[in-house]
Amino acid sequence: MSREGFTGYTRGEARTPTARALHFANFGPFGAIARLPWSIILLIVGVGLTGVAMLFSVGWDPVAQAPSPDEADLWRDQITRLGVGFVLMICLALLPLGIWARFAWPAYAVVIVLLVMVDFFGVMGGGAARWLKVGPIILQPSEPAKLAVTMALASYYQRMMPTNGQSPPLLVHGGALLIMLVPAALVFKQPNLSTALALAASGAMIIFFAGIAMRWVAAAIGIGLLSVPAIYTFVLEPYQRERVDTLIAGITGEATNGLGESYQIEQAKIAIGAGGFSGRGYLQGIQSQQEYVPEQQTDFILTIIAEEFGFIGAVGLLAVFAFLFVWSFRVAARNKSWFGRLATIGATSTIAFFAIFNSGMVLGLLPVLGMPLPLISYGGTALITVMACFGLILSAHLHQDEKLSSRGLF
Amino acid sequence: MARKNSPEADFDRRLLLAMGAGGAVFATLVGRLSQLQFFEAEHYRKLADENHIRLVLAPPERGQILDRFGRPLASQRQAGRVSVVPERLDDPEATLLQLSKFIDLPESRVKRVLEEIQTNRIRRASFVPVTVVQELSYEEFARLRVRAVEMDGVDVQMASTRSYPRGRDFAHVLGYVARASADDLTRLAEGRSPDELKTFEELFRHPDIRVGRQGMERFAEDWLRGRPGRRRVVTNAHGRPMQELEQDPTNAAVAGKDLFVTIDAELQRVAIERFEGESGAAVLMDVASGDVLAMVSTPAFDPNSFVNGISGKDYAELRDNPMAPLYPRAHGGVYPPGSTFKMVVATAALEAGVVKTTDTVRCGGSYRFGNRTWHCWKKGGHGTMNMHNGIKHSCDVYFYEIARRTGVSKIAEVAHKFGFGETFVLGMTGGRSGLVPDPAWKLKARGEPWFEGETLNFGIGQGQLGVTPLQLALMTARIAATGAPLKPKLIGFGPPSDEDKMLDAPLDPAIMEIQKAGMYGVTSEPGGTGYRSGDLGLGGPRLAGKTGTAQVRRISAEERAKGIRGGASIARELRDHALFVAYAPTDNPRYAVSVIVEHGEGGSRTAAPVGRDILAAAIKMDSGRTPVYAKRASVTPSTDGKPDGDPV
Repeated sequence: MSREGFTGYTRGEARTPTARALHFANFGPFGAIARLPWSIILLIVGVGLTGVAMLFSVGWDPVAQAPSPDEADLWRDQITRLGVGFVLMICLALLPLGIWARFAWPAYAVVIVLLVMVDFFGVMGGGAARWLKVGPIILQPSEPAKLAVTMALASYYQRMMPTNGQSPPLLVHGGALLIMLVPAALVFKQPNLSTALALAASGAMIIFFAGIAMRWVAAAIGIGLLSVPAIYTFVLEPYQRERVDTLIAGITGEATNGLGESYQIEQAKIAIGAGGFSGRGYLQGIQSQQEYVPEQQTDFILTIIAEEFGFIGAVGLLAVFAFLFVWSFRVAARNKSWFGRLATIGATSTIAFFAIFNSGMVLGLLPVLGMPLPLISYGGTALITVMACFGLILSAHLHQDEKLSSRGLF
Repeated sequence: MARKNSPEADFDRRLLLAMGAGGAVFATLVGRLSQLQFFEAEHYRKLADENHIRLVLAPPERGQILDRFGRPLASQRQAGRVSVVPERLDDPEATLLQLSKFIDLPESRVKRVLEEIQTNRIRRASFVPVTVVQELSYEEFARLRVRAVEMDGVDVQMASTRSYPRGRDFAHVLGYVARASADDLTRLAEGRSPDELKTFEELFRHPDIRVGRQGMERFAEDWLRGRPGRRRVVTNAHGRPMQELEQDPTNAAVAGKDLFVTIDAELQRVAIERFEGESGAAVLMDVASGDVLAMVSTPAFDPNSFVNGISGKDYAELRDNPMAPLYPRAHGGVYPPGSTFKMVVATAALEAGVVKTTDTVRCGGSYRFGNRTWHCWKKGGHGTMNMHNGIKHSCDVYFYEIARRTGVSKIAEVAHKFGFGETFVLGMTGGRSGLVPDPAWKLKARGEPWFEGETLNFGIGQGQLGVTPLQLALMTARIAATGAPLKPKLIGFGPPSDEDKMLDAPLDPAIMEIQKAGMYGVTSEPGGTGYRSGDLGLGGPRLAGKTGTAQVRRISAEERAKGIRGGASIARELRDHALFVAYAPTDNPRYAVSVIVEHGEGGSRTAAPVGRDILAAAIKMDSGRTPVYAKRASVTPSTDGKPDGDPV
């Protein structure tokens, strides 16, 4: 990534044809690298490093005043994964959108096959079949599914978007719904509710941005709200129902017994609340250091940030996420192809869905589901998926003017 | 430029809409954060403190038990202890194997430790140490101290443990302590509030804490235990202490109170040695104060082996030992008193006025009543006997006659006056009342009327009559004190033993003088059955006593015809018990003693020399002198755990 001899545009935002024509940064792979939005990439890596620092804190032994030997792997693992994810993100960012679009359907097909196989031959883990074991390789196809469904839907609309300047007919949106629902249903069956919801959410966002009539949007929201009691009664497992009950009790301020389902969320609230406005300080979070919050290295990592860095730290982190999403939406708006726009919307929605749902869940506003906080929670596959999504967004940014043919996509 | 309602234009509008929704979500999250971290922060800060600051139990030091001169009989000793912390062990079996290279670690112990480790893991309390060996020898401790540093999860430290420095000597008096079982908890929980109960359960789970299981340790549990304190520590979510905080002195543990027994430990030692391995019991008491100065039951067990849990094998060995070391003979052993009971019969006869001391009975070696013959122990008979000679020679025929004249009810009444048929707790466990038979009892227990022939057996201390060595000592003490009231005591300074009554039923001093004269005759007049044992060997004072032989098995008529009267001709466990009761000095009685040598055959031959030597030792050592707790005994004992008047 040599920037030797680079004299001009730092963000690759050279948009006038004259500047583009003359500068070396506009040619070859070095040029593409130079045109990447490095300040945004720095922000993404910065959030990832915050996660590493928080994992270091989770593994801190407050008595020995040293890293606990048992938990030292946490941050070391994470920083390795962050490095791998970073390289992957940059590589994906350099891929032209045409290549993304061409691989959309093959990727979608492979993912569907893998998901079907998981449902039939999957390795059980935590009461659900989520993994496929192929020799020494363990695959979790629901993770690449997030990206594949986004690419497939974007590619689908790229092909089906009418050339006469009209919105696509309802039937086209129906097809999109089907493309989204098949993998979502397969993932839901594993069962992996959080990923199924993420697939549905990002798919819905793509259909929404593809221009489905507002009355259908309103109808969908209406039906969704009306079916909440039915879902609660017939679809949710008993343990999921209990989580919803706990949540409602927590929000309405009803007394909970502080054990079982409500223990985790109670302890999380205590950790966050005890952090106060400015926090207890790095490595000083008593609630967190003494292991009161279960799953603190994964889904509940926001609690240690809120305890050690307080309101300022937690809001600061949410603001950084918000900024990244707004920036991504702007990338979508500027892209010239429907594929680029909708793929960016899908990728952004996936990340945003996890960020919002995770924060809401940790803050006791949403039921507890296995939702990691993007870039920060401990765990390899989720981190790689998020970095790949950012790779797609960066690619859409880098290739915003790329003209895409609608042919050859099917 | 795209048209106003083109998909492109629509896209931008919807983007704004989505951003608006996202803004609302962001505002909601920030609102919630400010609620938790700003408006309710104090509330949650308090909850967090309650979460992690815990009051951990600080165990109290158990009170000591000392003898009347302050010699420790049960004390707390610092001993090296090795324990393992399950959560720090990768391979518990390997660690224990490694430990067994440095210390003695039997297979059974290893098994139990592994089980306990497993239990702790299941209870998610892997940080709670499991004791491997409670008491290390000095060499083991020194060796392990060096090695344990290299072994992960192994802790070697000094810990407080109960110890009985005099071992077997006080096994049946003091009993022992043990780790509290579920039964112990149920027993101790009675009448306690739920709050107290919680502390209790926590206390008895502590590895340093033991509960009195038997004897005085059990009786005086509340007195000895003390009150646990609380230490403020930071704990993590699993309850593991992480860090000590500043301590509140009012919350410190209060040690248990010391307890003094009336026994002279040195006299006890002499008495036990005097038994020379024979099984039996002896009780020596101070005639004036009622203090029990020696209380021997032999053979005994080592209470130290119970403190850290006795192995099933060792316990079975004790339980199945034919010499019955677990049996508390002195206060829980019931024997027929034999001839030692004759003073009671004589007293009853005189009280009833059916005989005068000068009345004579002719003994021809047997006594005919109804269609049966009762034999005297002396084959050829004693000739003409009055009361003095009847006691001195222990003539059975004389006592058949006066017992028959007195009647069972009167004898039973007087026996109760001396304390027979009553249980004396004196702060111990396992005490028994024995049995004083009478017609009412027989009708109830056997559904039969009393036969007058049984009165004859009663008259020589045989038959259904059962007494304990402790009761015999009390009887002797009351005779020696010429009938003065007597309050038997074993706890010199400690919790009151309310169940024990004062022995104050009136006894005519004149009648008691007659018994004393008879007992003097036994040991100090030529022809007395205990004449050989009358001299204390102290160049002056003599003792007065009464021998006794308690039949373990009836000699049948055929055997009698063959000349078999016991002795070497029959198996040991069927031989008669030898008994002896005595007091000394004769002119101014200070001590009374009772001795039983199981299967010792003849009271005069085996029991009397033992009784004589114990009395002599008591006089020589002046065992009855003022005890060290005398000044404190006036302090009203309280049981609420306040250290009022802790003895020095």
